[in-house]
Amino acid sequence: MSGLSRFRGSADGIAGAAVLALLAIVAIAAPVLSPGDPLNIVGAPLTRPFEAWATPLGTDRLGRDVLAMIVHGARTSLTVGLAAALVAIAVGSAVGTLAGLMGGWIDEALMRVTEAFQTVPGFLLALAFVSTVGPSLAAIVVAIALGAWTGPARLVRAEVLSIRERDFVASARVIGMHPLAIAWREVLPHALPPVVALASVIVAGAILTEAALSFLGLGDPNRATWGGLIAEGRSVLRSAPFLSIWPGLALVVTVLGVHLTGEGVVAALALRRSQA
Amino acid sequence: MRRALSLVRRRLLGAIPVLALVIVGTFTLLEFAPGDAVDAYLGATGGDRGLVDQLRRDWGLDQGPLQRLGLYVAALARLDLGWSVAFSKPVLTVILERLPNTLLLMGAAIALAFGLGSLLGVVAGSRPGSATDRALSIGSLALYAIPGFWLGLVLIIVFAVQLRWLPSGGIETIASGLGGLARAGDIARHLVLPVSALGLLYLALYLRMMRTSMAEVWRQDFARAALARGVPRRRVLWRHVARNALLPLVTMLGLQAATMLGGSVVIESVFAVPGLGRLAHEAVAQRDTPLLLGIILVGALVVILVNLAVDVAYAALDPRVGSGKETAA
Amino acid sequence: MARFDVFAARGMSRRTVLGAGGLAAASALLPAGALAQQSPRSGGRLIVAADSEPRNLNPAIVASNGVFFVSSKVVEPLAEADFGTPDGLAPRLALSWTGSADGRSATFTLRPNVTWHDGKPFTSADVAFSAMEVWKKLQNLGRVVFADLESVDTPDPLTAVFRFAKPTPFQLIRNALPALTAVLPKHLYEGTDINANKANAAPVGTGPFRWGESRPGEYTRLVRNPSYWSAGQPYLDEIVYRVLPDRAAASGALEAGEIQLAAFSMVPLADLARIAKVPGLDVITRGYEALTYQLVVEVNHRKPELADVRVRRAISHAIDRDFVARTIFVGFAATSSGPVPRNDPQFYDAAAQVPAFDPARANALLDEAGFKRGANGMRFKLRLLPAPFFNETRQFGAYLRQALAAVGIEADLVNNDSAAHTKAVYTDRAFDLAVGSPVYRGDPAISTTILVQGGLPPGVPFSNQGGYQSATMDALIAKAATTIDEAQRTALYREFQQLVVTDLPLINVAEWGFTSVASNKLRNVTSNPRWAVSNWADVWLAP
Repeated sequence: MSGLSRFRGSADGIAGAAVLALLAIVAIAAPVLSPGDPLNIVGAPLTRPFEAWATPLGTDRLGRDVLAMIVHGARTSLTVGLAAALVAIAVGSAVGTLAGLMGGWIDEALMRVTEAFQTVPGFLLALAFVSTVGPSLAAIVVAIALGAWTGPARLVRAEVLSIRERDFVASARVIGMHPLAIAWREVLPHALPPVVALASVIVAGAILTEAALSFLGLGDPNRATWGGLIAEGRSVLRSAPFLSIWPGLALVVTVLGVHLTGEGVVAALALRRSQA
Repeated sequence: MRRALSLVRRRLLGAIPVLALVIVGTFTLLEFAPGDAVDAYLGATGGDRGLVDQLRRDWGLDQGPLQRLGLYVAALARLDLGWSVAFSKPVLTVILERLPNTLLLMGAAIALAFGLGSLLGVVAGSRPGSATDRALSIGSLALYAIPGFWLGLVLIIVFAVQLRWLPSGGIETIASGLGGLARAGDIARHLVLPVSALGLLYLALYLRMMRTSMAEVWRQDFARAALARGVPRRRVLWRHVARNALLPLVTMLGLQAATMLGGSVVIESVFAVPGLGRLAHEAVAQRDTPLLLGIILVGALVVILVNLAVDVAYAALDPRVGSGKETAA
Repeated sequence: MARFDVFAARGMSRRTVLGAGGLAAASALLPAGALAQQSPRSGGRLIVAADSEPRNLNPAIVASNGVFFVSSKVVEPLAEADFGTPDGLAPRLALSWTGSADGRSATFTLRPNVTWHDGKPFTSADVAFSAMEVWKKLQNLGRVVFADLESVDTPDPLTAVFRFAKPTPFQLIRNALPALTAVLPKHLYEGTDINANKANAAPVGTGPFRWGESRPGEYTRLVRNPSYWSAGQPYLDEIVYRVLPDRAAASGALEAGEIQLAAFSMVPLADLARIAKVPGLDVITRGYEALTYQLVVEVNHRKPELADVRVRRAISHAIDRDFVARTIFVGFAATSSGPVPRNDPQFYDAAAQVPAFDPARANALLDEAGFKRGANGMRFKLRLLPAPFFNETRQFGAYLRQALAAVGIEADLVNNDSAAHTKAVYTDRAFDLAVGSPVYRGDPAISTTILVQGGLPPGVPFSNQGGYQSATMDALIAKAATTIDEAQRTALYREFQQLVVTDLPLINVAEWGFTSVASNKLRNVTSNPRWAVSNWADVWLAP
């Protein structure tokens, strides 16, 4: 409980959580807020912001509603960000726990694989992967997770190594608990908090990577994405800068919200740890 | 010195299985890619069935994947990185043409991010909670949220197109005939914007890390003790706190090397810098397997070497490391 | 992303447009200054934007715009496209050309006193070698057009006689001259592996500019050839191609004065209205009349729904071509009425008209074909693969998705990069509809009929990927290919156009040329209908 109150005490955390909550509402309510396919052409091309009622943030090169695309883009960004982070943390935690608990050659082999993934620039890997599989939401999530799971893996492994020798784990072993049960019930819950702190960084990174991929033309073409919008607007950056500015701002605000929330979580966890 | 040498040897030996994994993994990934180098080539030119078959033969693409991997590894053992079909040149030549630009870009970005970032971090961390600290903290957080490619676009519009202070892209004035210092200055001018776009995000990262790290060190006994002993605050700040707080940043430097190399893909294409990142993008687009493998291999080597340098630097900064217990991985 | 490489490379051709109005927005933006006659001034360096670097710069092997953009200044063809002459051609390495009545031979008289850049004389032996060993055997387009070339006789150093095994229409040979007949120096290529010759990366020719140097990823430099056959030319000291892979970068570089020319619509169409107002820069649409690209919906006839001609007609009725030309191409394109572009004076048949925009009619046709709307309002689902070659092909893909939804066809967009697109569409045929951008090369026989001809093997880009089979169509194509008489031949291709718009093996949507943005100091930037890929001997920079 003290953790939560500490989070509540952190102005950053509150602000971040508020931003994220708002974005989540927008993302979930997107079909209600702007019904229909956001990629439909609804007006004259390149309408300026605040010029037409139906399209308050203006329209793009083809006459698509920028506001609708940004609202639906929030869905894509948040979905990809959260899904990629979840996959990365799940895979990373599994690998880290396994390596830390098993030790020996399994640890050695898993850590070599982790190192191999770490030496290859994550974005390069994502680029190659999406080009290979073809741009779709699932492919993008996997591509981002491919480059992001190593962080949690190493962190969890280090935590597991330090926890493994502690009393409660040793006693669990003594009473004959299955190693996997030990991992699941005793080790992982203690190893996870620092990973949760890392989660905000992973989510933010995933959102930015998705934007960069879409920017390079590797986004899912059936969905509105912020990176894709920026790329679209890039060709008319000087005559209609708003086309890239709106989605750019949306990105900055979102990532900022994630970071601020992360700060709050870190603050909360730090307190919990210091009390533990 | 001896210790450093043995560290270097151990690390380089350890790198071999890692590189092997990287090669096999990348090769497999590209095997699954729809379309090969011939498809990419024909997408640009067109041609008939005879041309298609002839190109596949000429480029060795008519053999099975295992055979090709075998040939590649055999050549690699002779330090031959293969032949780039996209550039009709040896892969090594193509890479060496671009590598200096990327190293320059990355090096400058790291220097900017690390130097300025840690310095500002010290400023912010010298008095935690002060107005300066808050301002720097919020500013860096905002900076940390800005996508590099977007920042790059904005910088081009403001500084290259509107103000015309700096060139909008490229690595140097083309065919300028400049030499020596004049050329270095010219390259530096071209690098200002891409280095900023690539480095500012990491600057924010180092600033924040330094600040957090310092806040922790302040709380530690030796810092408190020094203050209690009446050592001037400024002296404690630089001698004890900042120096100790720098260590985690050095570790981060190594971890970020790969990320930065990835980030340079987008930045290099925004600023038309002929570097390794853009080359990788081209290699993927052209399905130039040997070239992409070569780039990833060289990239991995760069990352490994940077990490090695970081370890050596760490050992130099912190005498505890390397003597007794070496942390694994 | 190698867009230029991709589109550019699709080859080209000569076309004759004698003040034919051309494409939509053409002369509207042409500044008076660009046409003003002043006496040319020698000297200066021209820096132009290039958005890719072709790996092979040999135009005799790779007949494509991306290669020509650079190499046409170094290696010359027998003749170039021209605005003024009756057959639409101006002499280059050949001074005159005649075809025999039986279509079995063509005779070229060559230009005297021409030397290669290395000082050796240019002779008919070079032409014979290039034709027999390179165009016929190695060139992407020449393998089709010169397939029946049997031998080239060289009775004297300045005469080359092409002999064909089967009657070959001279009209076709003539139309192929500008793009397909770059002449290589025999003494540098004979006895070598032509595909691997070093001169492919650093070409040697007879042109107004010599190869300078290339810094991959940065620039390619050409320098003045002081002993060019046209005395006094070229005017420029050098041409530098600065690599700017990103299109948005080109307008910035132009405005910053770092480059003087961005050809091939390297400045995005939507930015042209703004950049036209920038002092010192001109937006130019002339000079691309012979480089017409077509926006086409490619149909996979193996898909049962699409095998029904009523469905294909419905799709054609669903597309608002005016919207496409006006909005997607910002007016820099014309709507298509059929497989031959409107600005072709030789073959275009205005009587052949594709089914026009009429969503009600489209819905009726689909109902009639038995595809009723389901619960979600959709009749059936399709995969739609827009080619990645241009911004406009992708944007049209987005538009088509919506246009099809309006008539109850659900289209799922699949975006691939160039290699994956080529593989998916041309080898695997894993598509239902695709958006393509074939080039019209001035004669339907060069690269248009192949799009709908039956019985072609898979894996060959820009051939009948939809698997359309029609005995009538194949017979018509075969007959036209061997018809020597020009009037008869033209009539057959009009019939061909009628058949295409009726049976719709593919659906033509729009056709476009390109735009250049140039410094107003640059002169003679529209001197022929293939200007961007011609030799630039007459281009000069005003002070």
